[in-house]
Amino acid sequence: MQEPKIKFSHVTKQFETRSQTILAVKDYSMEIQPGEFISILGPSGCGKSTLIRMLDGIIDTTEGDIFIDGVKVNHKGKKMPAEVLRKMGFIFQQPNMLPWRTVRQNVALPLEVFGLKGPEWEKRVDELLEMVGLTEYANARPNEISGGMLQRAGVIRAMVHDPEILLMDEPFGALDELTREQMNMELLDIWSKTGKTIIFITHNIEESVLLSSRVYVMGTNPGRLVETVTLDLPRPRTLSMITQEKFIEYRQLLEGYIGEIDLSKIK
Amino acid sequence: MTQSNPVKRVKKKKEFNPINVIAPLVVLAIIYVGLEIFLRVFNVSEYVMPTPTHIIQGTIKSFHIILPDFLFTLKIICIGFCIAIPAGILLAALFSQFDLLVKAMQPVVIWLVITPMITLIPLMTLWLGTDPNLRVIIVIIQATPIICLNTLNGFTHVEREKLELARSVGATKLQTFLSITFMNAMPQVFTGIKLGCIFSTIGAVSADFVSRGRGLGDRIIKFMKYSNFEESYGCIILIALIGIGLYTIVSMIEKRVVLWKK
Repeated sequence: MQEPKIKFSHVTKQFETRSQTILAVKDYSMEIQPGEFISILGPSGCGKSTLIRMLDGIIDTTEGDIFIDGVKVNHKGKKMPAEVLRKMGFIFQQPNMLPWRTVRQNVALPLEVFGLKGPEWEKRVDELLEMVGLTEYANARPNEISGGMLQRAGVIRAMVHDPEILLMDEPFGALDELTREQMNMELLDIWSKTGKTIIFITHNIEESVLLSSRVYVMGTNPGRLVETVTLDLPRPRTLSMITQEKFIEYRQLLEGYIGEIDLSKIK
Repeated sequence: MTQSNPVKRVKKKKEFNPINVIAPLVVLAIIYVGLEIFLRVFNVSEYVMPTPTHIIQGTIKSFHIILPDFLFTLKIICIGFCIAIPAGILLAALFSQFDLLVKAMQPVVIWLVITPMITLIPLMTLWLGTDPNLRVIIVIIQATPIICLNTLNGFTHVEREKLELARSVGATKLQTFLSITFMNAMPQVFTGIKLGCIFSTIGAVSADFVSRGRGLGDRIIKFMKYSNFEESYGCIILIALIGIGLYTIVSMIEKRVVLWKK
């Protein structure tokens, strides 16, 4: 079997607050193959964002190991090395643009930090802006363009240093329904063209079924893996699939898991 | 990907609007004329409140006496202010690097902001001597804390996601500070500097009042003593003009730097 691109092995995360210890993620394991598009689905507070933040070195793990390409990448109290971080691009729930920079400067931010200079990188920024239709707005400031355009800028900023892995933290959650659907389709398009490995965090069941090949369902208190569902749906996926029987079956199956979680919370 | 959702047009650079200049001038003219009429109609004594016209006339007449003091105060304010800006920002930058230091220093800085430096001037004269140029120190300790406090507030309130962005690309502490924390705090830095203009002016004039001998504050008291009320009021207006001038310069720089706010 191929070596997994990403591997979580019994990862646990505890947050210490002044009054208590919160178990955000408990004993989480998963393996993702190169080029896979997977979703992590769960209600808010289930630790799904924490997972990819640990993977991207934003926060430390408490226990367990994370591997990328077979190499352990989490080392407590130590910053993740640049060559590991370069393999990943993080897309936030909000566009998270720096308002004092132009759209272009925002997109190019990772290049500056990774020290990637030269005409080939400049060209890449231009190509990405072109790809998402932002060429005309390259020199605009974030407060001058719409939410959908900002989120597109957020997506290409995460791709600008050509990472192999995209980590998406409910990236389109703040957008309206129409823009969200459109962005999802565009994302599938990007994925099929570039073959990047994508971890997509969402609390939207339909979105997770529409996009991914496998859904990891998480539950709360403590945040943990509840179930893994492999989706046997043809690709390329289209919005019209939403009404198909198989799609609905998967949706209901996942609703069942999420529902159970909610019930257990009420008790 | 194509973009087809409705988009806001990119705003063009704001056109110069003459109303912004004319409106305050009109208000000024109304105050001037209103005061002039009020004081003449009710026959208010010149000792209580001279008319604006007399204030201007008196000030022009005695300007050769006022000028050296005006220049002295201007110098004290400008030097003190120019030192207070980097001092306040650097102190805030230093404090912000350590959570403990922020917690420890914030109350001290607030305490310094609130203490009127005029109360310390006699002590400082005792420590430092009576050289009028030492009034720069009063201006510095009056203005630095307010600049520091506002800047610190900006440095310590950065959205978590912005810092996460820096971490996700492996930015160093210095990179994060320069390209995120510092830029993020710009609006607050400028608020601090603008308050610093006001505090500098207050500091300089209070020093004149207490230490005497030189400066516009000293000149006000001298004119009062000899019942030259027109000139006293003239000096007060000149002090205000120094403050307004500094404030305007800072606001203009702010508009060129903080392009992302409105």
